[in-house]
Amino acid sequence: MNAHTPKTHASGATHTADATTVEEGLAIQEEQAKFDSDTATAVAMQNTLLTPRFYTTDFDELDAVDVTPVREDWDLLIAQMQADPNKGHFRKTDDWDHVDWDGMEPGLRKEFIDFLISSCTAEFSGCVLYKEMKRRGSNKDITQLFQLMARDEARHAGFINDALREAGVAVNLGFLTQKKKYTYFRPKFIYYATYLSEKIGYARYITIFRHLEAHPEHRFHPIFKWFREWCNDEFSHGEAFALLMKTDPKLTSGVNAYWIKFFLTAVYATMYVRDHQRPAFHAALGVDPDWYAHEVFTKTSKLSQQIFPLTLDIDHPRWQRELVALQKANADLALAVQRKQTLKKWGAQARAARAFVSLLLIPSKANKVPASTRMEPVY
Amino acid sequence: MGILTKDVERHPCEVEVSHCFDSLHAHVKFTDGAVIWPGDEVIVKGPEIMAPYGHVVREQREAVIFRASKLERLWTRLTGDFEFMELCEFSFSEEVKL
Ligand SMILES: [Fe+2]
Ligand SMILES: [Fe+2]
Repeated sequence: MNAHTPKTHASGATHTADATTVEEGLAIQEEQAKFDSDTATAVAMQNTLLTPRFYTTDFDELDAVDVTPVREDWDLLIAQMQADPNKGHFRKTDDWDHVDWDGMEPGLRKEFIDFLISSCTAEFSGCVLYKEMKRRGSNKDITQLFQLMARDEARHAGFINDALREAGVAVNLGFLTQKKKYTYFRPKFIYYATYLSEKIGYARYITIFRHLEAHPEHRFHPIFKWFREWCNDEFSHGEAFALLMKTDPKLTSGVNAYWIKFFLTAVYATMYVRDHQRPAFHAALGVDPDWYAHEVFTKTSKLSQQIFPLTLDIDHPRWQRELVALQKANADLALAVQRKQTLKKWGAQARAARAFVSLLLIPSKANKVPASTRMEPVY
Repeated sequence: MGILTKDVERHPCEVEVSHCFDSLHAHVKFTDGAVIWPGDEVIVKGPEIMAPYGHVVREQREAVIFRASKLERLWTRLTGDFEFMELCEFSFSEEVKL
């Protein structure tokens, strides 16, 4: 895909990321497509069907959001997103070194492709969710924000897709013609979940980026070089949700504090378990998943102090112990399911549930939310 | 829409699939303003929509909405919240072993 030099168009842009008009973007894409159809037929591509989730929510409630209390910060953030500082970032430059996919150790290759496909799906699902909220809403502030976020996520998904193509994996978008069910989230749950997912996404990407900056010999794929600007997008998205939550103090107090604790615990625990299922990937990066988890939790906790009334006590002696227990129970559960051992399955489920409840019962640390919400990405 | 019965409706829609470097997305818009409720299922009729790499495909299609029954809608409203983990993908699939 890198081998050809596309024709230069009107404003001098040779890449869709630089295109300033739709027409120009399309013209560039056509050039690429011509080249691309040649390569696609030449190489047998492995096909992967993307399976994003579909959500619906209470759009009236969403429309009723009034950003007046945070207007100043809100307008600044929107202006920054509209200025689109990362336009042009998501393209391959000379920094995109050659990837030796065939020489990659098969175990690593498998886990890394899983990483890319899952990332692509996550970005894609975010895009679908944000676009849906944009379309169904009528509150201008809200629709504008979701439109901008949908743009970013579609761009992220496109960039990962490109890396996948290089690896011989073609993403199939044919899911629309398959039956799909719409699940439901209350708006506040969308705020908690997406806020956390954006911030933890930032923490995950930046931790890997900084680690590889210090240890470039572990950078086995060029995509990691793009992680900093990438996660700055995610950071901004998180900021927007923080501001949304700030508009209504009820969202982060009273019984909702318990919901927040539940969300934090569930998200951290899931991340821990999933990361530990991919040993080859972390070994290649030279990252100890336990160190990584703790690092990401620390950063996310620090960031979430901007809006959440509490943080989890991740240095509590029970924290790490129960995470390990949860991970073990989860691995045993998968094995029991695979071997169709019902009793062992129930046992593992019970152990997983116990570990999770134990994590949930660790007293959290109260946090006094600062008057000003906005933060800058400093890690 | 009954408490336990599902209705099946047909609606015109516009499908946009972008398979480009700078935007990978796929959206369905009901052109007659039909609205999706919790638990509804949607399928776009016709052959698979394939956008070749570098292309945006926009097509007018028909979609079938399988309306959830009242009970199902209620159930989805009550339990949907717990599927939030899907929003945080953590960059890895759920499969325990690859
Ligand atoms: Fe993203
Ligand atoms: Fe994001």
